[in-house]
Amino acid sequence: MTRRHFFGLNSTGVGLAALSSLDLRASGQPGLPGIPHFAPKAKRVIYLLQSGGPSQLDLFDHKPRLLEFQGMDLPESIRNGQRLTGMSASQSSFPVVPSKFSFEQRGRSGAWVSELLPHTAKIADRLTFLKTVNTEEINHDPAVTMIQTGFRLGGRPSLGAWVSYGLGSESENLPAFCVMISTNGGGQPLYDRLWGSAFLPSRYQGVKFRSGADPVLYLSNPPGITKDDRRSFLDSLGELNKLTFDEFGDPETNARVSQYEMAFRMQASVPELTDISKEPPSTFELYGEDARKPGTFAANALLARRLAERGVRFIQLYHRDWDHHGGLPANLPKRCKDVDQASAGLVEDLRQRGMLDDTLVVWGGEFGRTVYCQGRLTATDYGRDHHGRCFTVWMAGGGVKPGITHGETDDYGYNIVKDPVHVHDLQATILHCLGIDHRRLTYRFQGRDFRLTDVAGEIVKSVLI
Amino acid sequence: MSFRRPGTLFAKILLFEALATGAFAQHAASAVDFNQDIRPILSDRCFTCHGPDATHRQANLRLDSKDGAKSVSTELLRRINAIDSDRMPPADSGKTPLTPVQIAKIRAWIDQGAPWQPFWSFIPPTRPALPAGTTANPIDRFIQARLGRENIKPSPEADRRILIRRVALDLTGIPPKPAEVDSFVKDPAPDAYEKVVDRLLASPRYGERMAFRWIEAARYGDSNGYQTDGPRDMWRWRDWVINAFNSNMPWDRFTIEQIAGDLLPNATLDQKIATGFNRNHRTTGEGGIIDEEYRVEYVADRTQTTSTLWLGLTLGCARCHDHKYDPLSQKDFYRLYAYFNQVPGEKGFTWNYGPEEPFVKAPLPEQQTNLARLQADLAQAQKDWDALQPKIATAQTQWEQKRHTDWTPTDGLVFRSDWIPSKLPADTSPAGKAYQYDGKQFLEANGDGAVFGYLDPFTFSAWVKPQGTEDSAILTRLDDFIESQGHGLYLIKGKVRLHLTQRFTDLGLRVETVDPVTPGQWQHITVTYDGKRLARGVKIYVSGESKPLNILFDQNTEPFNKKNTPIRVGSGGGLRFKGSIGDARVYKRALTAEEASAMAGNPTATHHLAFLATAAPKEVREAQALLTTATQARDKFYATIPTVMVMADGANRDTFLLKRGAYDAPTEKLTAAVPETLRPSNPITNRLDLAKWLVDRQNPLTARVTVNRFWQSYFGTGIVKTVDDFGSQGEWPVHPELLDWLAVEFMESGWDVKALQRLIVTSAAYRQSSVATPAALEKDPDNRLLARGPRMRLGPEVIRDQALAASGLLTEKVGGPSVKPYQPAGLWQELSGNNGYVQSKGGDLYRRSLYTYWKRTIPHPYMMNFDSPNREQCAVFENRTNSPLQSLDLMNDVTFVEAARKLAERMLAGGGIEAGFELVLLRKPTERQTAILNRALDQFLARYKADPKAANDLIHQGDSKIAPNLDPARLAAYTAVASLLLNMDETITKE
Repeated sequence: MTRRHFFGLNSTGVGLAALSSLDLRASGQPGLPGIPHFAPKAKRVIYLLQSGGPSQLDLFDHKPRLLEFQGMDLPESIRNGQRLTGMSASQSSFPVVPSKFSFEQRGRSGAWVSELLPHTAKIADRLTFLKTVNTEEINHDPAVTMIQTGFRLGGRPSLGAWVSYGLGSESENLPAFCVMISTNGGGQPLYDRLWGSAFLPSRYQGVKFRSGADPVLYLSNPPGITKDDRRSFLDSLGELNKLTFDEFGDPETNARVSQYEMAFRMQASVPELTDISKEPPSTFELYGEDARKPGTFAANALLARRLAERGVRFIQLYHRDWDHHGGLPANLPKRCKDVDQASAGLVEDLRQRGMLDDTLVVWGGEFGRTVYCQGRLTATDYGRDHHGRCFTVWMAGGGVKPGITHGETDDYGYNIVKDPVHVHDLQATILHCLGIDHRRLTYRFQGRDFRLTDVAGEIVKSVLI
Repeated sequence: MSFRRPGTLFAKILLFEALATGAFAQHAASAVDFNQDIRPILSDRCFTCHGPDATHRQANLRLDSKDGAKSVSTELLRRINAIDSDRMPPADSGKTPLTPVQIAKIRAWIDQGAPWQPFWSFIPPTRPALPAGTTANPIDRFIQARLGRENIKPSPEADRRILIRRVALDLTGIPPKPAEVDSFVKDPAPDAYEKVVDRLLASPRYGERMAFRWIEAARYGDSNGYQTDGPRDMWRWRDWVINAFNSNMPWDRFTIEQIAGDLLPNATLDQKIATGFNRNHRTTGEGGIIDEEYRVEYVADRTQTTSTLWLGLTLGCARCHDHKYDPLSQKDFYRLYAYFNQVPGEKGFTWNYGPEEPFVKAPLPEQQTNLARLQADLAQAQKDWDALQPKIATAQTQWEQKRHTDWTPTDGLVFRSDWIPSKLPADTSPAGKAYQYDGKQFLEANGDGAVFGYLDPFTFSAWVKPQGTEDSAILTRLDDFIESQGHGLYLIKGKVRLHLTQRFTDLGLRVETVDPVTPGQWQHITVTYDGKRLARGVKIYVSGESKPLNILFDQNTEPFNKKNTPIRVGSGGGLRFKGSIGDARVYKRALTAEEASAMAGNPTATHHLAFLATAAPKEVREAQALLTTATQARDKFYATIPTVMVMADGANRDTFLLKRGAYDAPTEKLTAAVPETLRPSNPITNRLDLAKWLVDRQNPLTARVTVNRFWQSYFGTGIVKTVDDFGSQGEWPVHPELLDWLAVEFMESGWDVKALQRLIVTSAAYRQSSVATPAALEKDPDNRLLARGPRMRLGPEVIRDQALAASGLLTEKVGGPSVKPYQPAGLWQELSGNNGYVQSKGGDLYRRSLYTYWKRTIPHPYMMNFDSPNREQCAVFENRTNSPLQSLDLMNDVTFVEAARKLAERMLAGGGIEAGFELVLLRKPTERQTAILNRALDQFLARYKADPKAANDLIHQGDSKIAPNLDPARLAAYTAVASLLLNMDETITKE
């Protein structure tokens, strides 16, 4: 370690990573000294965020007694003064609506999964269901910001940014934190802050992978510049920059050269990554034929596995349009069809490749949905408003016990009766699986040591292996 | 370097460095300074539990107070030295134990009697004596005195070409023209450099350059920033800032006008525009949010932004509890908050597609001229019309002999129930034909001309004779179930009610008459809406008289359209009508009061309007037409004038301390005041007082915080590195006396901003060569002592603007609406649906980056790759990292590929590689640089001669035209070389 590095370590108070002129993502170096804090179970995370808030009551949280309560007003004793969104708070009634979809217990574990997720149902024994994830937030923007950054308003680094800051990168050629968004249109907007680095150095922000000619922004050479042209360009640039270093003596100049070399490697590695032409037919049996169509959730799930294979630390997927305020019976099945096979296929694929043990897969939205109907209730139609008091998230792989269900909600699926898991608890648990003590992954900003879980977060110990 | 937050650990470096060099023993033996050496340790390790936060204080021990540590000194030493469970800070606190050096410091301090000092930044600065020396610029006296103590020599002045590039990029953000460089290089005058500085300070580019950092800090954006993130118009405020810097507005005025320009006596339009500063915060229109939750966010944002920018305090930490490190209580936070909590009618749930009140129309100078002309035309037309009134009265009286009482307005009439065939039982209203409704049957028509959005004016009217006071529908265009979407005119509990509904629970407007109508009698009802979104734009007339109204709901903020739903008479929204309805009508405009009166059969109004419409002489008709034309011309133009949201007081809203910062947990009622620690004896009662207090000579913080931020922009790091934290977790200033001297100088100069910049950039410290020897790097890696000139990567805006300037593409035009330069296709669509990015054309593609449209949830990726703050909240720390995405961007972004081609054209026009190098870096390439570039040129030339298609592809990037008569292969090869120039480390670095 050079003296300069030593001083950097001290003057930032945050360790080498924030300072070193070498980009860690570029060099595949470890992250902060002392991290992982203990032996990790998972080396990487694939987070399948279902934006908009899938209805846990129609997918996982089976409530047979709702048939008895059907059409009756949600009792005040259950709502218990809970704040509602402005979209339903002034409704004249809150009629309870049971799911119109059938549920079955699946596998040896007997986890309840509805008919809408047949593929997920088949791998229920590999999944860990958290039935009691909860958040104070009742609107999309703050809720999705909360689950992705640990704070409702933004201005904080995202989960993936924290992980790449803490753990660094295992890849020489790819960013540590990659983001993919299904191009299924509609649904709630997303925002750059959800994968942003906020006050962490910008190198930790998620790099978006897009379907189309330029999977990473500005990756492709302009027309008329080939790979060989770029190589010779970089050779000249390197020589010019060497002269600059000789003249001014700033190590930053050399760091810049290494960034250009990393950029060149990315130009080669990303197309290789996104080229799925060599995937065998069995891959598409697992993920579904949709995986051949760039931009679908299935295609992104497949790319997630390919990124994981190449050492990418944190892979964040988004699939939108789960916000079923109305027309839920018609629309929820469509979203399930978008993601069911590929989500299950990804878990199975990782297992077959021996990667499930050290890859943590997380599936869920920013909140759940209400047991009462929002808007117009008819014989065939209903909608559900946002519900943050309890919703279901499943996890699989690195560090969590397969085939268990954690937490319990009441007969209405409205309140938690056992083992709540706050969003900060979920985040603390994800970090724990990666060998990180969430209380000790900090960054000094405006005089305070910030962390992902703010001043909260309890690890959900009973789901850990 | 890419440092982020240094925190108090800087103190540790100095100590460690001192220890390592053997100087510490001497230092410790001489004196330990409480503020410099001890407070940072106590703050970082102890204050969380033994500091200002009364609620969470442990063992009732306070180490931030005068005798706190002294009173427990023995125990303090024992506990910080303990290795068992007695150790402080405790093992489970997440805080590391004190280092031996820190313990030694504290021991030495206690041995000296534990002298305490009030916190340095809370004491108003006094002007320190200048250290001895011969240098003219006072800054250098301080810098050189410190270097002398450290036994370091400053560097020689930088080469003139490097220096002029440095100062031009710093003061104007773009490189100087080659001729300006030459004249400086050749100027033998002793003040050659000062002349350059003065010229740069006088350039309009200076205001743009200075404005950039300020608008970024002031979280200026062109969109609202949450969720669907709609557009907003605040660029007139941005232009105010540019003008303020260009006209060298003193910083005290700059402060007062932005914080409280609206409260100045006879506030000018510009002074009101300035207050847009406090409306730059994000706003949300997300369906279903709780209004007060976000209104509180906005007020808190103003409080925190003001606190950061002027006071350099992290007051936001005291929003939920007392500050952990600084003497700032939660009450202090809400007392400051109270100044910003008085905006009348302020909403949390805002309109996402336009300005929220209060806002002003902010015409540009040429618009003001146009508007004045149109107003004058209108006034003349009105005057002519008024003059005609006696003639009209006479003519009307003569005409009235003939009687035309059945006249009603037809202008804008788009639906009439009489147009629909009906089998309902007939009735007769005072105006004629009517039908009886039995509470089941109704009339229905597709009403093609009568489809309205939420911003379209309209009128609904009808004769009604209700049987009773049962809730009923008169005239609607909405689905036939309760609380459905659309327009509806109802009787609810006998009162006339208008609904515009997007989603009944939270989007739309609802207005009703205070008094019910009379059952069993014919009455005429007219309801008009002016299309201006707000409930106050609704009028309801009963029997021709405007009635007092209650506004039941006023959140008409989202579009809707019911063109596939029929118009219904006597039905809608799940309601029917019992009684009779006659002549139900819809107009696609808001009828006037006189028209409503005529519709109800008032003979005076009817005669007057009927006469004008059907029988007026030519002279009258012409005057009326002129008046209409002049009104429309004025209104149409007025609608194009930009708005800016501004501050106002007058809400008379009480301010409460919010428990844990929660909007729904108000506790103690508080009045406005500045933080107790800083409070002067005179009361600071309103926002104007607050603004004046911020720039009062006795305010200890504003001047220091401001000069420190400017210092950061030149040297990369502030004198206090934590530019946003002058509290006890902030860094001890590396040159404390210099900071105070500059602060006092700034105030006593009359807050002369240009003079301050001039003072800094004419210092020898600034003018030094940035060459760093290994020894210098070893001794002072971050160049805090300034034994060499600043060297750092340029900001994103400068890198782009420089490329545009060097290639001749830059459009030099001050101000105006934001523009949309090149951006990879689809970025907006893939995150937020259909609102695509419509790229600008022509010169607007090449405006300075200051004018790039800033969509806060999806900022321009180029800017983000190069570390721009995202402008969601106030940010003042300059971040500089180095990543492969930056490399890809500079090599492949069409912005830079096109700039390279235009630069290549300039090279081919004369001077070749050397000229290109000079256009970018302002100096001549060395032999070795020339050799490398020539070799690259030869390689690319051979390559493109062999592959004309590749050459053609490369030179056709970007919208700008290719200069005529150039060989494509040569142009392509030069483009590749120009791209090399634009990617060089030296190019993107302030050297």
